[in-house]
Amino acid sequence: MKKKLVSVLLTAAMGMTLLAGCGNEAAQTVADTATDVAETATEEVAETAEQAAEEVADAAEEITDYGTGEIKVWVADNVVDFTNEQIAAFQAAHPEFSGYTFTVEAVGEGDAAGNMITDVEAGADIYAFAQDQIARLVTAGALEVVEDSNAEAVKAQNDAGAVGAATVGGTLYAYPLTSDNGYFLYYDKSVVTDPSTLEGIIADCEAAGKNFYFEINSGWYQTAFFFGAGAELTYDTDDSGNFTKCNSTYASDAGVIALKKIAEIASSKSFQNGSAISNATNVGAIVDGTWDAQAAKDLFGDNYACAKLPTFEGADGKTYQMSGFGGFKLLGVKPQEDDLKLAVCDALAAYLSSEEVQLARYNAVGWGPSNLNAQKSDAVQADEALSALADQLQYTIPQGQYPGDYWSLATSLGDSVISGEITKDSSDEDFMKALTDFQTTCESYAQ
Amino acid sequence: MKSYKTKRAIGNAVGYIILILISIIWLFPFVGLVLQSFRSYATEYGGMVDYLVPKQFSLDNYKFLFDSSQTNYLLWYKNTIIIALFVSLLQTIIQLCVSYALSRMRFTGRTFLMRFWLILGMFPGFLTMICLYFLLKQFGLTQAGAIPGLILVSVASSGMGYYVCKGYFDTIPKALDEAAMIDGATRSRIFFTMIIPMSKPIIIYTALVAFMAPWCDYVFASYVAFGHDTSYNVAVGMTRWVWTNDYQGYFTRFCAGGVLVAIPVTLLFMFLQKYYVEGVTGGAVKG
Amino acid sequence: MAQDAGKKKTGGASRFFKAVGNGIKDIGVIFKEGDWKTRISYLIFGFGPIMRGQILIGAALLACEALFIWFMTGFGWQYLSKITTLGTVATKKVGRKTVYGDNSFLILLFGVLAIFAVIALIAMWYINIRENRKEEMLLKNGKKLPSNGEVFRSLFDRNFHKTLLALPVTGIFVFTVLPIAFMILVAFTNYDKNHQSPTNLFTWVGLENFKQLVSFSGAGIGPTFIQVLAWTLVWALFATFTNYFLGLAVAMLINKKGIKFKKLWRTILVLTIAVPQFVSLLYVMKMFANDGLINGYLIKWGIIKTYIPFWTDPLLARITIIVVNIWIGIPYMMLIATGLLMNIPEDLYESARIDGANPWQMFRSITLPYMLFVTGPFLLTQFTGNLNNFNVIYLLTQGKPQSVNLAEKAGYSDLLITWLYKMTVNDTNYRMAAVIGIMVFVVTAVISLVVYNMLPSVRDEEGFQ
Repeated sequence: MKKKLVSVLLTAAMGMTLLAGCGNEAAQTVADTATDVAETATEEVAETAEQAAEEVADAAEEITDYGTGEIKVWVADNVVDFTNEQIAAFQAAHPEFSGYTFTVEAVGEGDAAGNMITDVEAGADIYAFAQDQIARLVTAGALEVVEDSNAEAVKAQNDAGAVGAATVGGTLYAYPLTSDNGYFLYYDKSVVTDPSTLEGIIADCEAAGKNFYFEINSGWYQTAFFFGAGAELTYDTDDSGNFTKCNSTYASDAGVIALKKIAEIASSKSFQNGSAISNATNVGAIVDGTWDAQAAKDLFGDNYACAKLPTFEGADGKTYQMSGFGGFKLLGVKPQEDDLKLAVCDALAAYLSSEEVQLARYNAVGWGPSNLNAQKSDAVQADEALSALADQLQYTIPQGQYPGDYWSLATSLGDSVISGEITKDSSDEDFMKALTDFQTTCESYAQ
Repeated sequence: MKSYKTKRAIGNAVGYIILILISIIWLFPFVGLVLQSFRSYATEYGGMVDYLVPKQFSLDNYKFLFDSSQTNYLLWYKNTIIIALFVSLLQTIIQLCVSYALSRMRFTGRTFLMRFWLILGMFPGFLTMICLYFLLKQFGLTQAGAIPGLILVSVASSGMGYYVCKGYFDTIPKALDEAAMIDGATRSRIFFTMIIPMSKPIIIYTALVAFMAPWCDYVFASYVAFGHDTSYNVAVGMTRWVWTNDYQGYFTRFCAGGVLVAIPVTLLFMFLQKYYVEGVTGGAVKG
Repeated sequence: MAQDAGKKKTGGASRFFKAVGNGIKDIGVIFKEGDWKTRISYLIFGFGPIMRGQILIGAALLACEALFIWFMTGFGWQYLSKITTLGTVATKKVGRKTVYGDNSFLILLFGVLAIFAVIALIAMWYINIRENRKEEMLLKNGKKLPSNGEVFRSLFDRNFHKTLLALPVTGIFVFTVLPIAFMILVAFTNYDKNHQSPTNLFTWVGLENFKQLVSFSGAGIGPTFIQVLAWTLVWALFATFTNYFLGLAVAMLINKKGIKFKKLWRTILVLTIAVPQFVSLLYVMKMFANDGLINGYLIKWGIIKTYIPFWTDPLLARITIIVVNIWIGIPYMMLIATGLLMNIPEDLYESARIDGANPWQMFRSITLPYMLFVTGPFLLTQFTGNLNNFNVIYLLTQGKPQSVNLAEKAGYSDLLITWLYKMTVNDTNYRMAAVIGIMVFVVTAVISLVVYNMLPSVRDEEGFQ
């Protein structure tokens, strides 16, 4: 009897909410809650059910009681203060979440995924991570699907590359934060006169006794050569983050041209493997990303300059424009055992990746926004490093999903060049063999 | 006779030259470390450079470390000292207990226990990291509780490192025990009033070794405390500055932090070096 | 190293089975011959002792049984019952919220714990029976049982070892034995990044992982394993002996008559022991980098044209590691040798000198044999320690350079132990890490056993006390 009463109440509550026409999001939450409560009600004793019914009735009046809880947020150390400020603003705007306490911890985008996977339970509820980790996180069950209405907003407001990076299979799993994880050239104006060709840059560096930095043993930077020469490497994924197919043409003439060029660069006495300005010395030019813009300004002083990546001349005499990945930082929400907490997490993640916050983040720490409107703002448009990146982005492909093994395999390939196992004098057969092995191994990562 | 003397003088001169060369090699990295730590963060550059002597000396990096609004360094330092002190104290107690029992008493299962521990010691410690992590988690001793957790793990397994201490006890004549027992002393009395006072060098050695280990603990500490900045020790906190790209230009700060870590440990070691030598020498010979 | 490692365990197995057989026989005999108190003790631990006034012993035994029942019903059984499958209930979504299913990791971990608890219970049961028997026999022979006070006091005298060892043994059990047993079992499961708790289940796969280790075709990592193992052994050999002989040489030089400031030289050397390695080694790593201090100065001074790839060339990286390890390791050996050299009687050298021996001959025939004899066990521990020398390798190169010729992300300077670490932390490939861990154990154990029996200084433990 009571059960029946409860379901009547529930239906009524749901109907009222919908009629009241409150935000799509709230309705969704209430609906979820309602379904959940309905289930609980069928299983548990009537007393609890009654209580739940009251809760739902409350919800109908739009003041959902979200209960209490703790929400842990992981972001990189340099945005901890910024994030704290934003969360304070978020709390002020949403008194209904007052039962929740928020803690922000400094965990870098690189470490976050590893830590999440080690122990999902102890991991953060909301965390920023680099996009190359997303498939791994989905497989390990450390990412919750983005809530439907938020997903629509994310897709509409962010650049296509960022949305693609946050999508696994056909499902959106994360909120894009930045669209600046690409790389381009920083150089010293007094050393490099013309940054448009790779050969010219290296000759200038050699002449001046300065170093040219390019991280050839990174799967991320390497692609500048391979994609530039026309080789391909992408993966298809299914909805749960498994790799289903590898599309690779590395073992081809284009691949050989790229690898040969890498070996040639590596043989220069001015070449250094690396991409972190503060770990670099005696820099003439470096291929690096926007996150190092400040360090680059400090280092080069008045001679600071940046440009899109140069072109290079292949062994076949043709000129190729260096390509590479356009990359993104993403914000993920951990799967929750509690619907209400999940709703709070969804709201916070949506807020932290919104247009205003992305713009504020650019102003605070210089991270290039993925939000289309924020990208159009004057401040962002005027940024030297970001415009160099924007120039470069037209030659790159948005970075899709790659298995974790790919990155270390690419490191192995790069290390083999640096250590002289593969040199510029190796025969075309040797290059082809290395690339065929590489491609076969890449393909083996897809089931 | 004269030629013997000249030969000897030449020999000594060569010896000095070699020793001076060795000293330069040995000191060079430390001198470099100290010099780098004085390179100004603000006016010069915080990253890596390929020259040794800073263009301008400053205390910027040290100021940064002591500024708790910018970094948790002081907190990490405090954590490390707490861990080191507790581990040192408890580990010494446990090793003394185990060593006394194994050295002085004969009971069933004694040789089995020693063999079993020897075999256990042949398994690499990292193997069990994930398991230890989840065990500690059951007790709530990870992340926020990482400091007691780390102490617990270090202390719990320390019984297996009894060799040096037992070796020392073995050299104390058993006749002393027997005489005391004839006088009616119990085993515990002998342990507390006779053996322990005679073992000052080995106690200091054990405590010193145990005190120094936590300063280096990066691997397990980072595994247990992940994502919780306030439970890091210095090794975990500072290694990030070198290995993670989030920390641009922290190299000189790393050097400064390293100097601050090295000073107390080195001083302590220098003061207690005599005991350390006694311990390692004894341990080495007995195996 | 304990002295027992090499003792021959002649007929160890047969003796063990004999003992078990006798134990089982005892249990039957005691039940048959025992009085009713003893018989009830078969079910209720410590019943006999309590009835005979041995309350302390009886209560302790009873407490063990109670603890076991409490543990099993409240905690252990729910895991133990699933240990054959490691869980079957998958994680699912209800609406948007996640409902976690079985946690294979916890099932395995606490399942193992529960098995240990059962073994411990059987042991306690046996002790309980023997205790009953002992008391019965004492009473039968007309002797008095010790009072509770006496039993308690014996814990500080005759049974003092029980008091001393209780805590350390428990600690080692929980934080060493249990985890090792767990990880050995993981080697027989498919626990890796695709089967990770709590979201995914993992299960038993038998010897699959071992097959992969020794497989030399396709996805097998056999060739890489051999290569890493070989370098591990070569490294341990070089690291041990370079440090040993160079340390000895430095110690002899400092000890040489006529050399002054002995203490100063020693103190300078000892700095590398005192400064925490994560500081000194990380700095040295940066120093030798391609764009680091050393290359920078060498190029500036015009000694070399291009940088020397200290860390990026496979062979050079290995050599550099060994050289840097000398920097770290010599001081230890110097300290040890300094103490030992003084123990060599001076008149041995005197008489050799009178016979016209040169310093090299004296070193060959007096110093070296003595040192080798005395420090044999030390060399062995150094060697096994170097097999697992994580810090030096990881802080310097992290196992790099990697190569397309090596599988599973191994690098040319990777030891088994750093490889294992990378598998655990970077790849969460726990199953292969466990297999490698077992291999490390096998290598260490075999080398220890073989070398130990060859050592000249192996003496009977009791003999030299």
